[in-house]
Amino acid sequence: MLKLTRRDFIKTSAITTGAVAVAPSMLQAMENELGGKDFSPETLAERNAIPTNCHVCNIQDGAVAFVEDGRVVKLEGNPNHVSTRGRLCAKGNAGMWYSYDPDRILYPLKRVGKRGEGKWKRISWDEALAELVSKIDEVLKNGDPNEIMLKYGRNRTGGVLHRFMDTLGSATVLNHTSVCESSKKVGMEPTWGPDIETPDFANSKYILNFGSNVLEAAYFHNPYSQRITEGRVDSNAKIVTFDVRLSNTAGFSDEWIPVLPGTDGAVALAIGHVILREDLQDSDFIEDWTNVTLAELKEHYQQFTPEWAAAISDVPAETIERIAREFALAKPATTYTYRGPAKHLYGSYNEKACMMLSIMTGNVEKRGGYCLPRGMGYDQPQPQPPKPKHDSILKNPPEFPLASHHVSHLVPFWIAEGRQKISVYINYMDNPVYTNPGADTVWGRLFRDEKLIPFRVVLSPFMGEEAQLADIILPDVPYLERWEPESMPNSLWPWLGIRQPVIPAMGEGKETKVYLQEIIERLDPDGSRDMKKYWNFKDPEDYMRQQFENVPGLKEAGGLEWLKKHGVWPIYGKLDPSSGKITDKTGREIRAEYGLHKKELSAGDMLGASVDEHGGIHKNGKAIGVKRDGKNYVGFPSGSRLINVRVDEWAKYGFNPMPTFKTIPWHENLKDDEMILTTYKYNVHVQSRTQSVKWLAELVHTNWAPINTETAKRIGVKTGDKIRVESEVGYLITKAYVTEGQHPKVIAISTACGHWGYGRLAQLKLKEKGGQYGADEDADLNNVWWEDKGVHPNDIIPAVADPIGGSAGWYDTVVKVTKAGPDDKYGYIEASWEKHVEWFKKTMSFSYVGDQHRKMHPEMAAWAGPDSVEPKKPSGH
Amino acid sequence: MTDTAENKVAELRARARWYRLLAGVFAEEPKAEFLRELRSDNCLGAMADLGVTFDEDFIRAETTELLETLACEYTMLFVAPGGFPPVESVRLQGGFRQSANSEVMRLYAAEGFSIRSDGFVTFDDHLAVEMGFVAVLLERQADALERDDATEARRLDKGVKRFWVQHLGKWVRGFSALLEEAADHSFYREMGILLNAFAVAELELLELEVADGDGGRWRAPKPESIDKPMQCGGPINESTAVG
Repeated sequence: MLKLTRRDFIKTSAITTGAVAVAPSMLQAMENELGGKDFSPETLAERNAIPTNCHVCNIQDGAVAFVEDGRVVKLEGNPNHVSTRGRLCAKGNAGMWYSYDPDRILYPLKRVGKRGEGKWKRISWDEALAELVSKIDEVLKNGDPNEIMLKYGRNRTGGVLHRFMDTLGSATVLNHTSVCESSKKVGMEPTWGPDIETPDFANSKYILNFGSNVLEAAYFHNPYSQRITEGRVDSNAKIVTFDVRLSNTAGFSDEWIPVLPGTDGAVALAIGHVILREDLQDSDFIEDWTNVTLAELKEHYQQFTPEWAAAISDVPAETIERIAREFALAKPATTYTYRGPAKHLYGSYNEKACMMLSIMTGNVEKRGGYCLPRGMGYDQPQPQPPKPKHDSILKNPPEFPLASHHVSHLVPFWIAEGRQKISVYINYMDNPVYTNPGADTVWGRLFRDEKLIPFRVVLSPFMGEEAQLADIILPDVPYLERWEPESMPNSLWPWLGIRQPVIPAMGEGKETKVYLQEIIERLDPDGSRDMKKYWNFKDPEDYMRQQFENVPGLKEAGGLEWLKKHGVWPIYGKLDPSSGKITDKTGREIRAEYGLHKKELSAGDMLGASVDEHGGIHKNGKAIGVKRDGKNYVGFPSGSRLINVRVDEWAKYGFNPMPTFKTIPWHENLKDDEMILTTYKYNVHVQSRTQSVKWLAELVHTNWAPINTETAKRIGVKTGDKIRVESEVGYLITKAYVTEGQHPKVIAISTACGHWGYGRLAQLKLKEKGGQYGADEDADLNNVWWEDKGVHPNDIIPAVADPIGGSAGWYDTVVKVTKAGPDDKYGYIEASWEKHVEWFKKTMSFSYVGDQHRKMHPEMAAWAGPDSVEPKKPSGH
Repeated sequence: MTDTAENKVAELRARARWYRLLAGVFAEEPKAEFLRELRSDNCLGAMADLGVTFDEDFIRAETTELLETLACEYTMLFVAPGGFPPVESVRLQGGFRQSANSEVMRLYAAEGFSIRSDGFVTFDDHLAVEMGFVAVLLERQADALERDDATEARRLDKGVKRFWVQHLGKWVRGFSALLEEAADHSFYREMGILLNAFAVAELELLELEVADGDGGRWRAPKPESIDKPMQCGGPINESTAVG
């Protein structure tokens, strides 16, 4: 009889290795399925997979929620999604904890006592809506509809909020874009049309990245980090990053070039100077597709020498010369920017200067180049309410006529000075008390003032810093419980997607469009006020059906039913497990379409059109295309159908219409003990909404300030030492993180930490006496091992605004950094409203009607002054 | 039915009434009628016999004012962020609607019940629902004994025991201890004491030994008072300064 011992097994196993390798195997790891399926480890039953769209941040990844026993137990990427190709970031993986957050608001709450006291009473929806409706009704009957203000942050409701405000007749709808990337948008839009670019990183040979941490935080970090990695691996692309700090993107790059905040534009102009000086530009592209000649461009760029830029930016002239040649000679190549260049006084100029490099080298709309964004539209249910009769002076302040995305972060000052009366303030997914410059010192003060803001309603499932200062909170629902349409230009393939409820709403949480409809029905029960007819839908699903039922192609595929089943439309191909790419039946990656500007106009389009001497094609008083080489092209969606290197509208208001750069006046001649404060974002957090998410909070929960080794030595601090960071509006006490990966003149303090709202995890309230988690079946909650929630920087950042794009100058604050004294408490923050007001006045002086405007634009001496233009006159009262 | 059986039936029905009373206390903010009954001499006397002694804020307060006070107290203790909802999933599993919720829902369904919300929509594993469920089982057990259906009575007895082992027993004692400590108003403080004593007594009566997985450790920090308003970066004092 055969008798085997353990020793026999070990002895003989090596001999069988070859046979084992070729022996047939019937098992594979489940994960090799590449997603789309998941199984319970306990029951082995397949979990219910429901496609949806992530919304922890705004990259809008395709997601699949795995639901077991009515609970979302896992989230992963939707393998059918052409942009994100089955991948979700850490934030997306943790998204279900929004729904299950034990600090979630599940019922309408009404404040008890003074606003901000922190005491609440649960009330019914009926009571809550009755009170809100009575306030709105009072304004509609006896006031101006614009007294009803709605400010939103991450609004992906697909038009519902605007429908609501239009129905009420109020134009006072403010967004959050001025604290986001508005000067990037305003730098780009008048130039080529869209507000963002879609670089073809995967096929590029050279990526010039200005101020974007695109692998971690910037638009669109998940799909783009995949493509940049492909560019590096498959295309051998070189990546150069200009940034004030060694972000992980900078670390991934071939070169990190530290640059002083706000000076990327100067560097870009100097790179352009070298390219044009050495005749490395794409002359044909400039002549054919821009509104300037090559000669004009060369002459204009002569002033921007590398030596000039080096003195401004700290980037050596020889580096600028080298990068210019490398970039111009590598084909294809692309630039990319995000907040780095744009979030400054004159951020719009910086953005324009950066995008010019892709333009002058003819890399636009080419494989591997700098492409237009591709999006897909959806409908709005009909009929739609008319736009409000009168504009809002808060929404469109006359001093900022070019800020098409508004200047929302200055609104508290304008309300405080009585520019526009606000009777009802509605707050949707927006936490300016935390996220805006001035933070609690500015927005908290505004919200506490019951004379300036008599009634505040917050639509939110979470007790953020802004909700703490509400009169009534309506329990909205997190993204896994909502219906919303989605489309985002986060790759070169356009798509439509949906968010659909993967679990029912909890408690008495309601989706936005449901309770907004209820409000309208209470205001107009019999339809006599012409409001109700715009809210004609049975439920949120029906609203979505109306949005999707007539989209060509999708309609034939099955409309909303297709999207409910697949989450995204179209499905371009199959996700290849070996490459991670979407491939066709032959295994080749689905090719993107390039050269959108060279799409030819049809004979029908040309019917009745005329062509001018420059080839501009016009019809009905509008430019519809450009004739080149005998062909009628559609051109760029820029108004002129060309790339407007010269933006004439800027000149109208005394701004330089050509690419230019302005040094921030208070950055000049920095003293030895002065630095510039910037902020940044961690890859596992958004600005304000993720510190309550337990997996993410464990990954990053504090934010000691990175400071350069030499600087730290000068100040006399080491990692972990307390430092005092003082700006002109206040100071805070944080701790230093000493690193070589930081510009010596810059200190950085990240967002996402230092909460004083947003639940007990974000605030670490659970660490107070007797407050630790005791959920013995949840190891995560027993493992809250950290005791440092970090320090929030925004109170000491003044509200600077770009006079062109309106963007907040996040990275413009000059600070003094010193070693903290023995009595300085970590986390202490002190800031002054009065000093913030002084800075508000200062930033207003840079607007086109301010006294600094002319001083900053000597090259525009011929401008006839603010009186020469008809100011935009929105109605205030 | 024998005397012993009659006594057993009476005991079951008495226990069921206590379950229902406590379920009512935690189900929602007290209504006027409920308060009137609770503040009746009979009820106060019965409570006092058990050692439940309310303060003047409950006994003497004017009804309208008391209703408002208790509504706010209920919200701050059990509803608003920072509170401690009487929900098993939250207490033991760190979030709403976790597996405990599905488990109890299945148990309710097996007995022919589903959750009903007359007032505010609630969770299957809310304390009030779980207590109400045991009350029903006890009443059914009593009914079974009355009709001499020993098999059914035994089944229901096992059901009650199992429910305590798997659910109530794991969290109610810790929760009630926490409530006793955190409540500002004597009504909820005393109800926390009563709930704790009741849970201990029930476990003893059922001859069960169940570890308290809650432990009352997840405590609601009190809201910052108006005397100490929120400031930039949160309240500034030694206890909240971190690091």
